[in-house]
Amino acid sequence: MTEASNTAVEPLNTIGHDTPRVDAVERVTGEAKYSRDVKLPGMLYGRVLRSPHPHARILSIDISEASRLPGVRAIITHENAPIVWGAGSISGGRQYNDPAKAATAHRRYIFNNPVRFVGDSVAAVAATDRHIAEEALTLIRVQYEELPFVLEPEAALADGAPAIWPEGNLCPDFRNNFEPMVSDIGDIDAGFAEADQVFEERYETGFIHNAQMEPRCALASWEGGKLTLYTPSQGISNCRHDTARDLGLEDHQVRIVCHYMGGGFGNKNQNQDADLVAATLSKHAAAPVMLEFSRREDWLGVHGRWPTVQYYKVGVKNDGTVTAIQMRGYSGMGPYRKNSGGIGGMDAYACPNRQRTIYPVYTNRTTSGNFRAPSEPHGFYGIESMMDDIAHQLGIDPVEFTLKNMRRPTEDRPYTNYSLDECIALGAEQFDWQSRRQVTPGSDDGPIKRGAGFSFMMFRAGVGTSSAIIRVDANAHYTLFVGVTDIGPGAKTTMGMIAAEALAVPMSQLEVVSGDTDRCPYSVGESGSRTTIMTGYAVVEAAKDLIQQIAAKGMPSGDGILIASATPRPTTDGKIRQCFAAHFTEVEVDTRIGSTRVVKYVAVHESGRIINPQTARDQIRGAVIQGIGQALHENLLYDPASGQPLTTGYYRARHLTHLDIPDIEVSFIEVDDGYGPFGAKTAGESGIILAPAAVANAIFNATGKRMTSLPITRDKILGAMA
Amino acid sequence: MKSLTNINARTVLDAVNAAQEAINAGQIIAYSGGGTDLLQQIKDGTADVDVVINLRNIEGADQIIAVNNEISIGGLITLDQLSTHSSLAGGMAVLAQAAASVGTPQIRNVATLAGNVTQRPWCWYYRNGFNCFKAGGDRCFSVNGENQQHALFGGGPSFIVHPSDVAPALVALNARFIITGPTGEKSLAATEFFVLPSENPRRENSLADVELLTGVRIPAAKENQVSTYYKVMDRAAWTHAEVSVAVVLELEGNRVQLASVVLGGVAPIPWRVAAVESFLQGKPLTGAVAREAGEIAVANAQPLSKNGHKVPMTSAAVERALLDLVSA
Repeated sequence: MTEASNTAVEPLNTIGHDTPRVDAVERVTGEAKYSRDVKLPGMLYGRVLRSPHPHARILSIDISEASRLPGVRAIITHENAPIVWGAGSISGGRQYNDPAKAATAHRRYIFNNPVRFVGDSVAAVAATDRHIAEEALTLIRVQYEELPFVLEPEAALADGAPAIWPEGNLCPDFRNNFEPMVSDIGDIDAGFAEADQVFEERYETGFIHNAQMEPRCALASWEGGKLTLYTPSQGISNCRHDTARDLGLEDHQVRIVCHYMGGGFGNKNQNQDADLVAATLSKHAAAPVMLEFSRREDWLGVHGRWPTVQYYKVGVKNDGTVTAIQMRGYSGMGPYRKNSGGIGGMDAYACPNRQRTIYPVYTNRTTSGNFRAPSEPHGFYGIESMMDDIAHQLGIDPVEFTLKNMRRPTEDRPYTNYSLDECIALGAEQFDWQSRRQVTPGSDDGPIKRGAGFSFMMFRAGVGTSSAIIRVDANAHYTLFVGVTDIGPGAKTTMGMIAAEALAVPMSQLEVVSGDTDRCPYSVGESGSRTTIMTGYAVVEAAKDLIQQIAAKGMPSGDGILIASATPRPTTDGKIRQCFAAHFTEVEVDTRIGSTRVVKYVAVHESGRIINPQTARDQIRGAVIQGIGQALHENLLYDPASGQPLTTGYYRARHLTHLDIPDIEVSFIEVDDGYGPFGAKTAGESGIILAPAAVANAIFNATGKRMTSLPITRDKILGAMA
Repeated sequence: MKSLTNINARTVLDAVNAAQEAINAGQIIAYSGGGTDLLQQIKDGTADVDVVINLRNIEGADQIIAVNNEISIGGLITLDQLSTHSSLAGGMAVLAQAAASVGTPQIRNVATLAGNVTQRPWCWYYRNGFNCFKAGGDRCFSVNGENQQHALFGGGPSFIVHPSDVAPALVALNARFIITGPTGEKSLAATEFFVLPSENPRRENSLADVELLTGVRIPAAKENQVSTYYKVMDRAAWTHAEVSVAVVLELEGNRVQLASVVLGGVAPIPWRVAAVESFLQGKPLTGAVAREAGEIAVANAQPLSKNGHKVPMTSAAVERALLDLVSA
């Protein structure tokens, strides 16, 4: 076995020290201009008319009365704006793949006919003020023929289910074949034959909206043939490219600007239909148009995490060795496929026989798409509940069971480093696992029962291509140009810290220019936990170039400047690069009223070298909070009879409030594996992956009852305790 | 959002006159205290309002005054004021605690007692624009739908639950509800003020459109009176009660002389459980008695298809509310 070594690291000059965000003051004083704060002369306001039906054919749209309303400047529908939204539906869910977008069988337009979910866009209006635009929506007469609908992924595959697309409800793969996603490693039958015991269970998870603070908006403005979009974006480069393609423009004809944004958690990457609708309204009205979504529209009209059903079958020897893992999963994608529908987790186990079959399924619910670690938290909840249960039934400590079965580096699969054992050991020690867990689950007398849960994960931390430009002037003032946006983690600050370190200058000598495709080079985008690793690495390489230039030419004088840029294509030399974590939590389950309170939470992460510990800790905390919400509260409930969503918005979705949030203790094991900028790995998504599993396992430990569906609400606890 | 007229009333009489005038002109009016919920309903399109009569400029309607063995509370008192008022302790604490449990600090800073008592239901069908009884329609969608949060008692034909925290506390304190209309003021007992859907499925109380809840009058607390509000929420803040219990007891030592027990969140009106009240009378408040009281409270519960969990939850809440008063 290859032992990849961990190298302890010390803080550098700038990197590794708690550093407040460079734009913190602007944000908290209200000085920061978010996309909705931008105003252009002659700007109109846009509003979208949405389908009230889960599935209906539009027989006619009459805009004549709405058009006559004074102040209305443009109305667009599927009839006069047949624009394909390439990122809105992609065969195979391959998001950053142009050929897949071009070949997509089931194309999504900005306005679709038939409409396929409550909230699907039907028309949009631009008017001189918001109220006129909203009034105009009420004057658009749409005649619908209601069609049968289906909400649940398993039901959608049943014989006789209403077909949402002509070929049925199984989503096509990237070759437009209507096949499930299959991963078959080893010999599953041999694995079960080898097992002493076989365990089976069904797990189910809900639809979780990203619930970022800032609802979707887009301000579009045309000058000649050039479009400028002020839009909240997690990837201005991707957004520009997508928008240009969808509108038949060259990339350079689109400028994306996003200086500040109020979160996204995955639902603001690539372009969104709001960008295309605003651009089209603006073109029709010949004026800038600010399109705004209400909170409810944002909930329904963008996307959230796909709901899943997961059937597991696991074979295990009496000594606790897992010999076979089989999973059949169903992911509800809504009527368009924005992402894979993946269900992760199984591959964190070393078991050589693993078979996974996932059916991504169309339903008449709102669309599913990226949400922080898109395929992971629901999958880890399923597999780690399963494994926790098996450990319990075999009488083995779940931590010991994990140490026996988790995936480790092998000769043919080396890692750049591997630190999962250390994460688990440190977490168990900090949490005091042995004394907090109930050796016999449910043995606490109650009625408020305490219990402890554990989960672990590994997640990709691959390197890749991005760009950076650094300029220095005669005053030794450095300007870093990076095409990042700050969706919350403090990318502007982190990029500045990396540049300051690489240039060996203080942060005060450095300015970071970001969030504008006309000013900044390509950046990979704030998705897939990639900004720090990829754009950060480009910053390091650009700094090296600049240092060489200065060494060769001397510092610039007078009006002179030096400019360096880099677009590196780093590799990991064939090694797997991952980040690692272990989470431990203690809950109190009130068995008389069914409520669960998370009272202690310990998260230990290895994300390579930590650039800014202050923001990294908060990033993990924020992710854990979302994960606890997924475990205990959130789900978009639909009325089965009408197909109407019932629980949109912060009040109904029951997000955690400050009073619900425990003290989340975050520790980092820091390592420099020699890759990435100063050895930094991913952090952004990793924190959410473990929380649902850890909380669910803690509830089992407290109550002795296995909770097989999320969210674990009071009715489920009381039902199990009855 | 549709356009509407806002009228800033300076006195209660102003407000009622303006309301009457608008109603006579065929307009739909709404009184606004804090407006926290009303404005959202107007934006959501679940409240169709032509004229909003803003009550916030009326002076003196937010006072707590002790008169003739009663305390009189103005309807415009904010929930924040109510939750911290020095006169609401001990035997009256139930009211302060109920007010403190509403929403968030931001909401409590402007939301009023009268607004909390008269707010419309938070049933997700009604709030999502279904044309149910509460919206003027002719059916209740929860019966065969998602009824996890709906009524255990007093339901039919609508199964909403009354959303107020303050209301069960007021009912438990035997408050009278002061109503002002064009012909002057009247005072109603809770039994006359709150209305079951079997009587009128469209409304939760007997207020006519033009009438305004201007305050409440509560008998002064007896010396041996204790009270508490116990609220089960599905997160730590900013939700309506899944189940709540307002308890007012007159105790002699550990023995209950008189009990007033009113449930919130489980019926279309604040739900007095007379069987529990009579059971408790004369009994020492022990753990066993409290537990039995909890069981008696749900003896007549009629759960729907998905709200069965609220039955044991209600039992536990009654038991705990009573035990809180023993330990207090």
